[in-house]
Amino acid sequence: MRRGPALNPFADAEPRRALGFAALIAAALGALLAIAHVGGPAVSLVPSIAPVELRLDFSAVTTTVPFLALIAVVAPAVGLWSLTRGGAGDGLRLAVFVGAMIGVLLAQSVAAFFFAWETMSLVSAFLVGTHHERRDVRRALLSYLLVSQLGALCIAALLALLGAHAGSFRFPDIVRAAPALPTGLRTAVMALALVGFGSKAGLVPLHFWLPRAHPAAPANASALLSGVMLNVAVYGLLVVSFALAAPLPLSWGIAVLLVGMFSAIFGALYAAVDTDVKRLLAYSSIENLGIVAGVLGLAICAAALHDGALETLALAALLLHAIVHGLFKSLLFLAAGNVAEAAGTTDLEHLGGLRRPLPFTAPVLVIGSLAAAALPPLSGFASEWLVFRGFIGALAIVPPPLAALLALAIGTLAATSGMAALAFAKMLGIALFGEPRTTHVVERERPDAATVGLAWLALPCVALGLAPSVALAGCAVVAGALSGSSAFDPGPLPVLPVLLGALPAAGALGALLLARRRGVRRVATWTCGSPVTPRSQYTATAFSKPIRRIFGFVLFPDHLEIRDAGASRWFPVRVRYAVTTRYVFDEAARYVAAAAQRLARRMRIVQAGLLRVYLAYAVVAVLVLLAAAR
Amino acid sequence: MNAGLQYVLIVALAPLLQGTLQSLRAKLQGGFGPTPLQPYRDLRKLWAKEALAATETSALVVAAPGIVLGVALTFAALVPAPGGGRGVPHIDALAIALVLALGRFVLVLAALDGRSGFSAMAASREMTFAALTEAPLVLALVSSAAGAGEGSAKMPVAGILAAAALLLVMLSETARVPVDNQATHYELTMIHEGLVLEYSGWSLALLRYGAYVRQAAFYVLAAGLLPGPPGTALLWLAGFVVIVPAVERTYAKLRLYEVPQLFASSVVLALASIGLRIAGAGAW
Repeated sequence: MRRGPALNPFADAEPRRALGFAALIAAALGALLAIAHVGGPAVSLVPSIAPVELRLDFSAVTTTVPFLALIAVVAPAVGLWSLTRGGAGDGLRLAVFVGAMIGVLLAQSVAAFFFAWETMSLVSAFLVGTHHERRDVRRALLSYLLVSQLGALCIAALLALLGAHAGSFRFPDIVRAAPALPTGLRTAVMALALVGFGSKAGLVPLHFWLPRAHPAAPANASALLSGVMLNVAVYGLLVVSFALAAPLPLSWGIAVLLVGMFSAIFGALYAAVDTDVKRLLAYSSIENLGIVAGVLGLAICAAALHDGALETLALAALLLHAIVHGLFKSLLFLAAGNVAEAAGTTDLEHLGGLRRPLPFTAPVLVIGSLAAAALPPLSGFASEWLVFRGFIGALAIVPPPLAALLALAIGTLAATSGMAALAFAKMLGIALFGEPRTTHVVERERPDAATVGLAWLALPCVALGLAPSVALAGCAVVAGALSGSSAFDPGPLPVLPVLLGALPAAGALGALLLARRRGVRRVATWTCGSPVTPRSQYTATAFSKPIRRIFGFVLFPDHLEIRDAGASRWFPVRVRYAVTTRYVFDEAARYVAAAAQRLARRMRIVQAGLLRVYLAYAVVAVLVLLAAAR
Repeated sequence: MNAGLQYVLIVALAPLLQGTLQSLRAKLQGGFGPTPLQPYRDLRKLWAKEALAATETSALVVAAPGIVLGVALTFAALVPAPGGGRGVPHIDALAIALVLALGRFVLVLAALDGRSGFSAMAASREMTFAALTEAPLVLALVSSAAGAGEGSAKMPVAGILAAAALLLVMLSETARVPVDNQATHYELTMIHEGLVLEYSGWSLALLRYGAYVRQAAFYVLAAGLLPGPPGTALLWLAGFVVIVPAVERTYAKLRLYEVPQLFASSVVLALASIGLRIAGAGAW
């Protein structure tokens, strides 16, 4: 029975969208309010009745400011996008999600942190499962839930360990007790943090949920998942390694650095060969979070070596790159949502020429991709340059064996940026330019609230590139507060993007002016006389073939050719051709899963199905417990 | 050398360098070859001709040659003068790598907009090789940044290794045998030439001039990595002008899938250079 709009205003789509928008704006305002109250007194939500371990303390500290600022920028854009696109009920759910993330950032006690973290995990799982009627979505949801609950268990364990050691479950007390942590406990805590937060941040090898969850989730959820939630996980790692379990030994810095570099290069490699826009973006997230983790490792090393200036530089680079990635990635996911709605697919093999029907989405897709490929003068260049400055500066300071490792890291980072450029050149070149590869009619886009949201996100991607000083100053203050050293030298970065971008921009303008004055004659494309058809264009698979072959030792390329012979085998009626890559980690996981199943089958012997055997088990268990308790 | 003077020389003499290389290559192959001034004549001829563009292409295709030239001119400005007053505070490895990537990115997008299979194939190869050369390029420059100025005198071997690594990258970036062949007329084997296949007239002139400037800047950059007092850089430059045509004369173009091994050796050389500097930590 359908209730009338007079009884239930939420039955209609429009009020629900408006309410979702209002809720997201409120969440953004909440983030701003928290920034305004940095350093203020903690708010306790369960003051006296509950046991002291369950106190929910919330307060804003300096470290959270960049993350809160990111939320304050991204949430309104997602709100604007959801006003006209996506499902009608998305906005409210997304607002709850954003609220939970703000809760994680503000939490100052174990119970508060864990409560907010689990809320965030579960709400994000609901978001991933929005289209649960699809089988692939249900599978993605399952793998996401598994990883996120495994991570939550690790986080619960590490918080419990820290709380038990400090004798208090409030963060300030834990931080005070941190220097006295025994080595074994510190190692355990950090290992748990790396699994717990690393799995949420999509670090290899616990990244596998990311490329599955993103194609499954709606675009606005993806934007918040990749743009903000991954950064909340980075915040968790940052807080554990620089406050709750600080100071960490050098070896942990190296471990985090290695994990980061692995994630960066694998993410970039898979992004380079993938042919689905949303999956490509998910792999790019793994790459960028890998870079963030790598520079976190560098910061831990610097802290262990007591080099305050390097520590501040590395932390500032970490914060800047995390923010910049959050901004361009939410922009790209929202734009990918527009592509999906317009073309009905995000598979690059079918797309093409979208710059004509999507005159508003195409420019922001270009801006986001240029930033993601770290090209000057956009924001990605500024943050990547600062990350490199940290690594190159460290080479001169650290002892020889570590310096050799840093040299390898620099090479890896450079290769990563080259791969990312390839991935995004492929994505843009195939999706926006040329002609559609399969015949589908794409309606011409009209500007709406979603367009405003995209422009709102594109603005900081350009502004932080042209004038990085604003963000730099803020990141330096926060980094200085964490490292205790205010020495920060960004080198020529404040003016570098403009210097590098000026001549290319002038060249573009000059060429366009020349074309206007002298004219450009339009002729057919040269293809040795054969006709140019949409199907004769290069495809995304073909574009990435050289990389697939060169890195065949980790990508395991496979191709499949099906010929429909018809009357003569020399003139096939139809040829289908498919290329697949297998993922090293999936293969490894499959191997582990098979081994686990074999083991489980062996263990079935104990399940005899006889009541007396089970009773015997119970008696033995009770006896063991009694013996243990005595 | 004065940085401003160096910039003017790179920008003015870039076509002459190309002409010298082509003429020397022809002579080594037993031919007469054009005069070293031929690129200037080619540029003048192209500049006077009208430009063509494929139907239904975007403004990017028209703007790309200008961007590529702007990138080359920026790159030339980033090259530090060997010894003495350098143009930028220190070799900015990443700025160089990423500004070059910008020009390439734009040209690849323009190539894919043209819908030509030849250009797209070249675009794919260009991006692949660029992704593979990014690491040795950055590593070689990072190594030299440490040795800039007095350090290069202290660590001559490290400088030579870095220059060797950069030379291999340079062969790819400036479209030379064994990576690419500028003289080919066969579209399927083209890499750099294939990317600009759709261009003609004055827009091709912009692209060609950009490629010449980029090439000259690379030569000066590599010469600057080698040891010796400032004056010797000119000597090293002359050495490159002989070595590169000699390589083109001696070797055949490598198969596409064997080129990565060349880049792998380049990575090893660059890492060895950095390793030497780390071992002799005083040079940092």
